[in-house]
Amino acid sequence: MRKTESDHLTRRHLLAAGVALAAMSALAAPPARADDAVNLGVSIPAATHGFTAGIVWWANKAKKDLEQAHPGLKITVRTAAGAPQQADQLQDLTIVTKINALVVFPFESAALTQPVAQVKKRGVYVTVVDRGLSDTSAQDAYIAGDNTAFGRIPAEYIAKKYGGSADVVSLRGIPTTLDTERWNAFTGALKASPNVKILDGKYANWNRDDAFKVMQDYLTRFKKIDVVWAADDDMAVGVLKAIQQAKRTDIKEVFGGAGAKDIVKAIKDGSNPLLQADVSYSPKFIYDAIKMTAEARLKGDKLPPTYIIPSVLITRENAAEYYFPDSPY
Amino acid sequence: MSLRVAFDGITKRFGAVPVLNDVSFELAPGRVHALLGENGAGKSTLVKILAGYERASAGTVRIDGGAQAFPTAREAEAQGIVLVHQETNLADALTVTENIFLGHELRRGWWLDERAMRAKARMALDEVGLAVDPDTKLRDLIIAERQLVEIAKALVRRVRLLILDEPTASLTPTECERLFGLVARLRADGVTIIYISHKLDEVERITDEVIVMRDGRFVGRAPTAGLARGRMVEMMIGRELADMFPPKEPEPTSGPPMLEVRGLTVPGWAEQVSFTLHAGEILGFAGLVGAGRTELFEGLIGLRPCSSGTVMIDGRPARLRNPRAALGRGIAYLSEDRKGKALHLHMPMRDNLTLASLDRHARPWLSAASEDRAWQRARELFAIRGGDAGAPAATLSGGNQQKLAIAKYLEPAPRILVLDEPTRGVDVGAKREIYFLIARLAAEGRGLIVVSSELIELIGLCHRVVVMRRGRVMATVAGTRLTEAELLAHALDTHH
Amino acid sequence: MPSTRITEADGSAGHGAAAARPWFRRMRWRGYGPLLGLVLLCVVGTALNPDFATWDNWVNVLARTSFIGIIAIGMCFVIVTGGIDLSVGSMAALIAGGEILLMNSLATSLGSPVAVIALGMVFAIVLGGLFGIAHGLLITRGRIEPFIVTLGTLGIFRALLTWLADGGVITLDGMLSDSYGPVYYATPLGLQVPVWVFAATAFAGAVLLNRTTFGRYVKAIGSNEQVARYAAVDVGQVKLLAYGLLGACVGIATLLYVPRLGSASPTTGLLWELEAIAAVIIGGTSFRGGSGSIAGTVTGAILLSVIGNVLDLTSIISVYLNAAVQGVVIIVVALLQRRRT
Repeated sequence: MRKTESDHLTRRHLLAAGVALAAMSALAAPPARADDAVNLGVSIPAATHGFTAGIVWWANKAKKDLEQAHPGLKITVRTAAGAPQQADQLQDLTIVTKINALVVFPFESAALTQPVAQVKKRGVYVTVVDRGLSDTSAQDAYIAGDNTAFGRIPAEYIAKKYGGSADVVSLRGIPTTLDTERWNAFTGALKASPNVKILDGKYANWNRDDAFKVMQDYLTRFKKIDVVWAADDDMAVGVLKAIQQAKRTDIKEVFGGAGAKDIVKAIKDGSNPLLQADVSYSPKFIYDAIKMTAEARLKGDKLPPTYIIPSVLITRENAAEYYFPDSPY
Repeated sequence: MSLRVAFDGITKRFGAVPVLNDVSFELAPGRVHALLGENGAGKSTLVKILAGYERASAGTVRIDGGAQAFPTAREAEAQGIVLVHQETNLADALTVTENIFLGHELRRGWWLDERAMRAKARMALDEVGLAVDPDTKLRDLIIAERQLVEIAKALVRRVRLLILDEPTASLTPTECERLFGLVARLRADGVTIIYISHKLDEVERITDEVIVMRDGRFVGRAPTAGLARGRMVEMMIGRELADMFPPKEPEPTSGPPMLEVRGLTVPGWAEQVSFTLHAGEILGFAGLVGAGRTELFEGLIGLRPCSSGTVMIDGRPARLRNPRAALGRGIAYLSEDRKGKALHLHMPMRDNLTLASLDRHARPWLSAASEDRAWQRARELFAIRGGDAGAPAATLSGGNQQKLAIAKYLEPAPRILVLDEPTRGVDVGAKREIYFLIARLAAEGRGLIVVSSELIELIGLCHRVVVMRRGRVMATVAGTRLTEAELLAHALDTHH
Repeated sequence: MPSTRITEADGSAGHGAAAARPWFRRMRWRGYGPLLGLVLLCVVGTALNPDFATWDNWVNVLARTSFIGIIAIGMCFVIVTGGIDLSVGSMAALIAGGEILLMNSLATSLGSPVAVIALGMVFAIVLGGLFGIAHGLLITRGRIEPFIVTLGTLGIFRALLTWLADGGVITLDGMLSDSYGPVYYATPLGLQVPVWVFAATAFAGAVLLNRTTFGRYVKAIGSNEQVARYAAVDVGQVKLLAYGLLGACVGIATLLYVPRLGSASPTTGLLWELEAIAAVIIGGTSFRGGSGSIAGTVTGAILLSVIGNVLDLTSIISVYLNAAVQGVVIIVVALLQRRRT
């Protein structure tokens, strides 16, 4: 499944060289040109989790594809390790790189509202992705995955499939509004099926190892579990290992989330009976957001103020559409 | 200005152990009182109670007639009572000025008045005769200099009762002279002074009255004038003391030297130093603080870089890159800084003893029994008193700590032993034991080097004494020429 | 030479009572505070959920403690010298990634999975040891504070892994994963392999710290480096070995970790350094160095994972307060510790 180390290195080098070249040409470009062309900045979190790694990959793919397709377009991608760094990078993008359009995936809603507002004040067209700002007037457009559907779809799927009766344990990510939104949608949707019992929901930090531990303890604590809502495909990996170790046969299904390629492939191939469905929340939406913003700006158009990329239930029938073997996620 | 102090039935216990037992005496204002006694006699505890560092278990301290018990040293200092500690109590990371004014900073409005503090500090340093920049960090000073800073610190407080606890333990003769002048001046100003020292010549010179304590009790008092030193010692130890020093063996000059050092240079400290040492010889090193004696020997055993020089052991050249290599060739060096370099005060005594020779107790696992045997033997041989193998070395008295340190460096069986200030902070009885031990080690065929600032010690003990000044050897003195005047003249370069 | 020298041979000197007692009786049991805390926590855990006291649960807890525990034993040595290593979590992640990449690439050329896995395991320990020695060299020869050196490598190691993984996950090939699995999941004599390795490491660590010259030198350096230097202890070499030992421990922990999930990602080993350091300190080792206890460290490590386990087994406390409960338990244990000394 993995490439060998060596061709990996070469690819990396090419990429680095490309970024360096882009940065150099950005410095060399005369400021006057910025008016007639679209100079698009992309500010996203650094790759620390499978999902954010996917974000970075899709953002760089967007840069490659779009710059090739549109000669008047220049895209600068910046990754940040935290909110303060992201704020600094926004400033650099505006003042040094002189962008006139921005696609930003904020680390935190509140902390980045002001920095983004400052960018917009300088006449930059701002598209905010995934996490909404606390003051929506700081953005021109908002494109996001559907976090409500991320929780609602598995709830409806479980209720329907198990005839309104099942014992469910679930995992949660890191205490954030994002996680709470999904959790509330999940529990809310299950209110309609009083016989589906949620036994507990503990944080496992969107991390395989923590999910493994939490699942081990669930297995100790609950003698009968029908379904696990792992709420994330990375966590689902840890959950599956814990179940495998305990050799428990009562568990019928593990439902992850986000559509990681390994999980989607397992669903597509039917290779693991515990994996039958997933909900899409692909990092590809950053690609879509960059593409929509760039193409609209090249034509001088505006985007609709809010655009929600729908989350879709992935099952064996449609899994092939959501399988991207080249993406790291 | 003068202050009258009376102790009335002072008793102090640490747990069940009584340290002071019903001590009562008075101090006349404006005089210099020597407080004598062996280590453990209770002198330090008594003055700590007076200066607010300790509380008495029973009894009262009267200041000018009124009962006083200072809860902390700060209150005592407010009354003008200042204790200069036996072991300096200064903050390493702060400058001299900052230390002098610590807790009593001068202010101008909201701000610290740095300039005034620096000026006052400089004046106080001049008075105690310490020529360092007030902005020097304490950690860059050697022990003697730190002690002078302590005294300067007392001076800038409006002092009415000054307690000096072993102030000259690490001072050079010149520095001592300055200190004595200072004591005389303060006395003339009406300051009452308590002077704790083991050096009886000093006591003879500068004090008005001698007060002696033994085993936590007041033993007696007498005017200094007309009191023989021998009598003082006898009062302190409670028995006759025939002679402090063992009889000298004849100087062993025959045969090739055991150690020959030629043109050794430790940059910044010692220049082109040459000397020889024979088996059975005790070689002294005299000099002022800063003469480079300690650094010379640290260079010799590889603790400091040497830029030139050759070292021959038994006629064969030796490259001593580090203390391990030095020990491998049979040279051990015991540092002057007992707390900081010679002993792990918080580690068990047994572990201290065996650290430099641990390989002998590993086969391959460390044998506690073997280490315990070593400890038992060392304890008997060196008469280390008050020790349990597993108790931390800090629980020993100064003299016994020093004996443990010597024992530690003898464990690897070195043939050449360098002892740097071996009797610092050690009481008379223990000093004598250490002198006899040194003589015995030499008589057994070892080469002994003693670095000391106490000239009497070098004269009483050594066959020959090398005098250093500013990193250079000024002279090597032996035989009948070994006198205080001769050594001082070379050390100060006033010879001829 | 006629001598005052104290030798082993002439056994005439008296034997103290202390010498007669066997060494294990004379070890001072410093682990009191954490042990008491652990017992209390177990009582509470059992009261809240009887499943806590089951064998299976204990096997789980011990197995998951073993990674942090093994690292904490190495960390104990480094902390006793007066040093610190902040990089162990990142180091574990990088070793895991490197080991998997190596094994995947060897799988095609070597064929035999057992040989590939054996090589991978040796590689993990050697790489860890080399990383540790690199730390030691920077600290002793380079004269840089351990905190700074390992803060630097903390970033370097994790960034290297993220780069190798292209931000994603490095996964062990399926066939290798199946053969390697037993190294984590197999249960010889009823306990998982990592638990046995943890126990063996703890025993070896205790012997090394208390019964060898190296252990004594480690304590002597931490207690006062100058005194040790003057007593002819090769301070640089001892420190180098202590960091190398910790690195090797990280390697051992990693080679046990990899078969569990068969993957390494940028979140592998996240915050392990804090857990390992916490285990050592909770176990009664002084942060300033000079003395330490392996038994205490083991207890501290188990205590830390039991807290999480008890919280997972109940839902009487809001999940939002989990971290607070952990904090309170840690502080209470530290207080117990202080009382007893």
